[in-house]
Amino acid sequence: MKFRAIAQNGTSRDSRAGAAVPATTGALDEQQILLSTLPPSRGQKRLALATILVLLAAFCATVPFAAMPVGYIREFIPAYATAMFVISSITSALLFVQFSVVHSRALLPVSGGYLFSALITIPWALTFPDLFGATHTAGTTWGVLTRIWRLVFPLSVIGYTLLKDDEGRTAWPRALSYFAVLLSAAGLLVAADLVTWLATTTSELTPSGLLFSVIDRAQADWNALLLLLALFALALLWSRRRSVLDLWLMVVMCGLLIELCLIILVGRRYVVGWYAARVYFLVSSTLVLVVLLSETALLYARLARSVMAQRREREARLMTMDVLSASLAHEMNQPLASIVTNADAASRWMARPTPDLDEVKATLEQIRNSAYRARDLIGSIRAMVKRDDRNRAALDLNDLVREVLALTERELQRNRVSVEVELDEHLPFVNGDRVQLQQVLVNLITNAIDAMAEKKWPRILRIESAVQEPGDVLISVADTGKGIDPKIIDRIFNPLFTTKSNGMGMGLAICRSIIEGHDGRLWAAAGAEGGSVFQFVLPANTAR
Amino acid sequence: MQHAPIISIVDDDESMRCAIKSLVTSLGFGAYTFASAEKFLQSQHLDHTSCVVTDLQMPGLNGVELQKSLLAQGRRIPIIFVTAFPEERLRARAIEAGALGFLSKPFESETLIKLIDKAIETGRKT
Repeated sequence: MKFRAIAQNGTSRDSRAGAAVPATTGALDEQQILLSTLPPSRGQKRLALATILVLLAAFCATVPFAAMPVGYIREFIPAYATAMFVISSITSALLFVQFSVVHSRALLPVSGGYLFSALITIPWALTFPDLFGATHTAGTTWGVLTRIWRLVFPLSVIGYTLLKDDEGRTAWPRALSYFAVLLSAAGLLVAADLVTWLATTTSELTPSGLLFSVIDRAQADWNALLLLLALFALALLWSRRRSVLDLWLMVVMCGLLIELCLIILVGRRYVVGWYAARVYFLVSSTLVLVVLLSETALLYARLARSVMAQRREREARLMTMDVLSASLAHEMNQPLASIVTNADAASRWMARPTPDLDEVKATLEQIRNSAYRARDLIGSIRAMVKRDDRNRAALDLNDLVREVLALTERELQRNRVSVEVELDEHLPFVNGDRVQLQQVLVNLITNAIDAMAEKKWPRILRIESAVQEPGDVLISVADTGKGIDPKIIDRIFNPLFTTKSNGMGMGLAICRSIIEGHDGRLWAAAGAEGGSVFQFVLPANTAR
Repeated sequence: MQHAPIISIVDDDESMRCAIKSLVTSLGFGAYTFASAEKFLQSQHLDHTSCVVTDLQMPGLNGVELQKSLLAQGRRIPIIFVTAFPEERLRARAIEAGALGFLSKPFESETLIKLIDKAIETGRKT
C-alpha cells in the first residue's frame, strides 16, 4: 500500500532525527565552543609543548653568547614596544569579548592584564633612557615601569587562575557585563596614566616617591621576586589547566620566565641576551595571539557547519511531515470519492421507474467497504503517532517553544509577524516525544502565520505556557488573523478539512492525534481580540 | 434503438472503478472498467468507447500518458480526469492536450454526469 510505505519511511526517519536531538538541539552548549572553556585537543597540547621546547632550546643556545655586546640599536625599543602594544591590545580585546559572552569573572583580570600591558608600553618606550637622551629621572622611570609591567601581568594571570574554578557561572545581565568591560578598561587607562605620572614626577620625598624608589632599587631582589611570581603563575596554571586559554597562557608564562632569566643572567643592556630576552617574549606573545585568533576562526567555521547541519535536519523533518500529509490526503480521498459516487449511483438506481434493488444493494456494500477503508487509514495515522515509549522523555515545553520559534524564525520574519512570548518559568516537565510535539508546535505556528497572511496589521503571534490546575501544562498559540468561523470550528480537526487553497487538511488532524497520543487535549477558540487561539494541555510529569 | 454509448473507466482503485461504473450504468450507459491504462489500450473496447473517465495517478502509464498515446493513435476520444491529489502541473498538461474535464476526488456526481453528457454530444456531432 502506497501510504503505508511512505508513512513508515516517515516515522523511521523521524525517530532517527529524534535520537539525534539531545545532542544537537537547544541552545548551543557554550562549554564546547569557547576558548576559555573548551578543553585543548591533543594536537594543541603538542603544539604548545613544541613551542615551549623551541623557546627553551633558543634560550639554551643564547646563554653562551648572552654577554656578547651588540651595541645600541635605536630602532629596537620603539619597534618592540609598538609590536607589544598591538599584540597586547588585540589579545585583550579578544579576552574581553570572551568575558562578555561567557560572563566568567575570571576573564576580567587576565583581559585587564593584557590591556594594562598594552597601555604601559607607551610610556615605557618613551622613557627608555637612551631614546631621547639619557637623564637620571627617565632612567629611573623606565626601570620602575618595566618592573610594574612584569609585576602586573603575572598577577593578572594568577587572578584569572584563582577565579576560574570557583565559579557558579552566575548569569550576569548583558548590560552589566558590558558595563564591567567599560569600567575596567577606563580604570586601567587611569591607572596606567597615574603610574606613569607618579613615576615621572614624584621625588623621593613623597610616600609614592618613596615607593617608587623602593621599586627602583635592589634590582636583583626585584628580578628574583618577579621570577618567583611568574613561576608561581605557571605552576598554578599547570595545576588547574583545563581550557585552550589556560594552555596558551602557560606558553606566555614560559616566554616571560625565559625573558626574566636572560635579563637576570646578563644584568646589563645592549648585549645578545638583553635583545634575545625581549624577542623571545615577543615571539611567545605573538604565537599565543595567532593561536587564539586561528582557534576562534576554526571554532566559527565548525559552529557554522553545525548550524547548517542542524538546519538541514530540521528541514528534512518538516519535509517528511509534508510528504506524509500529502500521501494521507491522497489515500483518504479515494474511499471518500467512492462513497460519494456510490451514494449518488444508489439513489439513481432507486429513482428508476422500476428500482433495481440488486444494484442498490451492491452499491451500499461498496459504500460500507470504503467506509471501513477510511477507518483503517485513520487507524494507521493513530498507530503512527501512538505511544512509543522509547521516544518519550521528560521535556521542558518552554525549551521546545524556544526551539520551534528559532526554527520558524525566518518564516515569521518574512511574513513580518511580531512574536510575543510569555513562558511560565516554573513549568513542570511533561513526558513526551520531542519530535512529535515539535511538529505540533510548528504546525500551529505555520497555521497562525497563514491566518495572518491576508490581514494587513497587526500581525502578532502570542505563545504562552502556564500551569493548569490539576497538574497539567497548558500551551497556547494565539494569532491576530482572520479567525475561525464559529460554524466550522468543530470541523477544523477533521482530516481533509481545510480552508486553505493549497492545504491538504491533515495538519490539525495529525496534531490532535499526537496530543491525544500524549494523553492531552487540543482545541481551538476565538481569540480575545480577534484571531484564534489554539491551546493544548499535557499532563505534567509527576516523576520529577 | 441505437446502442447505448460506452464509457470506459480506468482507475487502479477498485472501489472507485465500481462506483463510477454503477453511476454511469444507472444512467443507462454501457461501461467497461480497466485497472490500468495499459489494459485499456490493449482492449477491444477501444473502438466502441465514447468517453474515457480516467484516474490521473496510476502505476504504469498515468492519465496524461494515456491521453498522449490515444492522441498518437489518432483517437480523439473525450477524456475526463479524476484525481485524489490535484497536481497543478499535470492538470495544465491534461487541459492543454484537450481534456474535457478535470475533477478532484471526491467530486460531485452531477458534474461528472454533465461532462459525460457533453462528451456524448460532441461525439454525435462529429
